[in-house]
Amino acid sequence: MRDGLRMALTLLIIGALCGGLLSVVNNVTTPIIEARAAAAFQEAMGRFFPEVYKVDEEEIDGEKFYICYDAAGNFIGVVGQVKAAGYGGHINYNLAVNAAADIIGIRIGSHEETPGIGDVIEKEPFQSRIIGLNFADPISAGVDVDATSGATVTTGGMINSIRRVMNVMGENFLGMEVEKAEIDMSTVADGTYTGTGRGFKSDITVEVTVSGGQITEIAVVSHDDSAGFIDRAIDGTPAAIIAAQSLEVDVVSGASMSSWGIINAVFDALK
Amino acid sequence: MTTLAQEFSKGILKENPVFRLLLGMCPVLAVSITAVNGFGMGVAALFVLLCSNIVISLFKGFIPARVRIPAYILIIATFVTIVDMVLNAYASGLHEALGIFIPLIVVNCVILGRAEAFARKNTLSRSIIDALGMGIGFTLSLTFLGIIRELFGAGSIFNIEVMGAAFQPMMLLATAPGAFITLGIMLGLFNLIFKRLGIE
Repeated sequence: MRDGLRMALTLLIIGALCGGLLSVVNNVTTPIIEARAAAAFQEAMGRFFPEVYKVDEEEIDGEKFYICYDAAGNFIGVVGQVKAAGYGGHINYNLAVNAAADIIGIRIGSHEETPGIGDVIEKEPFQSRIIGLNFADPISAGVDVDATSGATVTTGGMINSIRRVMNVMGENFLGMEVEKAEIDMSTVADGTYTGTGRGFKSDITVEVTVSGGQITEIAVVSHDDSAGFIDRAIDGTPAAIIAAQSLEVDVVSGASMSSWGIINAVFDALK
Repeated sequence: MTTLAQEFSKGILKENPVFRLLLGMCPVLAVSITAVNGFGMGVAALFVLLCSNIVISLFKGFIPARVRIPAYILIIATFVTIVDMVLNAYASGLHEALGIFIPLIVVNCVILGRAEAFARKNTLSRSIIDALGMGIGFTLSLTFLGIIRELFGAGSIFNIEVMGAAFQPMMLLATAPGAFITLGIMLGLFNLIFKRLGIE
């Protein structure tokens, strides 16, 4: 009993001393860290929009958007702190779009891409390909922007993500109309249709069978995605689309890019 | 009884934590991609090792043997957190580069190992010397590995371009397999050198 008490007391004293020391150091360092973060943020916004005076923050689907206004209160643009699905994991980046819906800046933050291969997104010529694109452009790999050969998953993922972010920004901040992936089944005659959509690594081709005004079958004919991911997407997404008779379905978590590929492919087939 | 000089030098050569004791391998492999990162990690670990050895040696009479491990972890974790906060405030570039490996210093075997094997059984002055020797040995080893990997993997040393524009870097060295291979080669080399010098 005595021993136990002594042990507990020792740990208690050590814990208290450690806690005290930590709180002292914390009090000293926290203001410095916060000031630096604020300065870094100001600098980041100012790099894209030198005239920025006020910034509002809005969060959409877990991503932060910073809406910038100049000193006169005019809307000058949006900076999105967003994510892309890269080869090794998520790529965090900032995308700056001005009021005319042109991309004026892109800055890659943290990523897990292979050094020397995937990190081409941080350098030229990739950066120049992105800057200057407008909301009205397709922003699609192979169409108006080239993916980088040898790093197609990374660069393709970035391009897909930029298109998605542009849509979010356009709809929420820039007053743009976004073409919704929706089908009016009454305009689709019975039959079999083929369509392609962008999956994780490259295009996914599907064959959609419509019968009696309903989507009755969706078969994935070709794809190039990794087995573990595409299998889960094939398991979940076609069935979800058929059950809902709509493209507004949840993507399979963890296989979202492949799921989006299937959804886009079905849209392409039926539109 | 070994002299103080021997106590210090053993950490650098004979009982080098990285190349002889093979302790703390996780940060060694992950952080030695560049010389600066290797050096920075080494200095952070050295500071924690020094502080924890001092505290544990000072309080060795007060900590009952049966709670020594939780007590040591508490103390080590406190110093690691202090290092984390200080780096974040005053050296944010290094803090970001080292990332999650700063908190991982808590479970770096070098630190707990020296506390358990040395600091709790030796005087304060010896513990300080031991910590300095081991810490400097760790730092030198990490920096050395970092220089090799940075030189052949990126063509620079401490961010200064050394190899010229025509140099094709060996991408392998910037990745985990390259770390293992480099470490293995270095281990073999060191064993050879020590054998030749008659040190065992």
